[in-house]
Amino acid sequence: MVSFNLLWNIAVNGAWIVSLFGVLVYQPGKKKALLKREQASLISCGANALTTLSTPSKKSEIQGYTVLVANVVMSPSWIQLFGGWFRAFFGGRINTFSKLLEWARREAKQRLLEELEASDYDEVINVRFETTTLTKSKGSNDKTAGFEILIYGTAVKY
Amino acid sequence: MQPNMTMPFSNTETLPGSTIVQSHGVVTGSTVRAKNVFKDIGAGFKNIVGGELKAYTELLQESRNEALYRMCAEASQRGANAVVNVRFATSSVAGGAAELLAYGTAVTVE
Repeated sequence: MVSFNLLWNIAVNGAWIVSLFGVLVYQPGKKKALLKREQASLISCGANALTTLSTPSKKSEIQGYTVLVANVVMSPSWIQLFGGWFRAFFGGRINTFSKLLEWARREAKQRLLEELEASDYDEVINVRFETTTLTKSKGSNDKTAGFEILIYGTAVKY
Repeated sequence: MQPNMTMPFSNTETLPGSTIVQSHGVVTGSTVRAKNVFKDIGAGFKNIVGGELKAYTELLQESRNEALYRMCAEASQRGANAVVNVRFATSSVAGGAAELLAYGTAVTVE
């Protein structure tokens, strides 16, 4: 009979291997897909579709407006979490996390752009970013951790 | 996501095409929500490879709509007909639960 200990070891080691797969295959694949979407919307809406200014870029009268909201919750993989914890011990730049945050922010921005494309509005003004950490439980060795990127702005129609 | 509210609101300081005649003060709407435990476990598994946690994305989207709805309800209670300068804030208050806050200035526009 296979002991419970052996099964447990296989499960935990298997999870670390899956985590490695996530870092090396799954996440780069998702990023590549995101890059394609970004290039597609760069052609269709141009580079100036989103702005943080509170006034529209064109002087013409505004026909309609609405608030558009997009969000994404991202989580680091076990390996990235471990790497980040290890790096934070010595201080300095934590590359895994900064890459992940940059990816999440690009993803959120892309979602806002896609909403803009799907609607009949022309431009999003007064765009704001918010970042929040989400944890399942605080201070324990629970490995679930994620962060939310929220992006919102007012879409206007000329 | 395009929130479908009865009251016009915007995150700019003025509403395009109308003038503000009266202010009714700050209105807020907040909600604290959690996903069910099975989705939490699913998110825990997704956490091994990293990447997007879709269950939480949806959860926050729904709850943000709810917060906006409450904000608009409070504004209409005060006799306002629009909300300007809407901002969002999020914080995780307990395990798996998040508080979503939407706030803005209730105004009467013409």
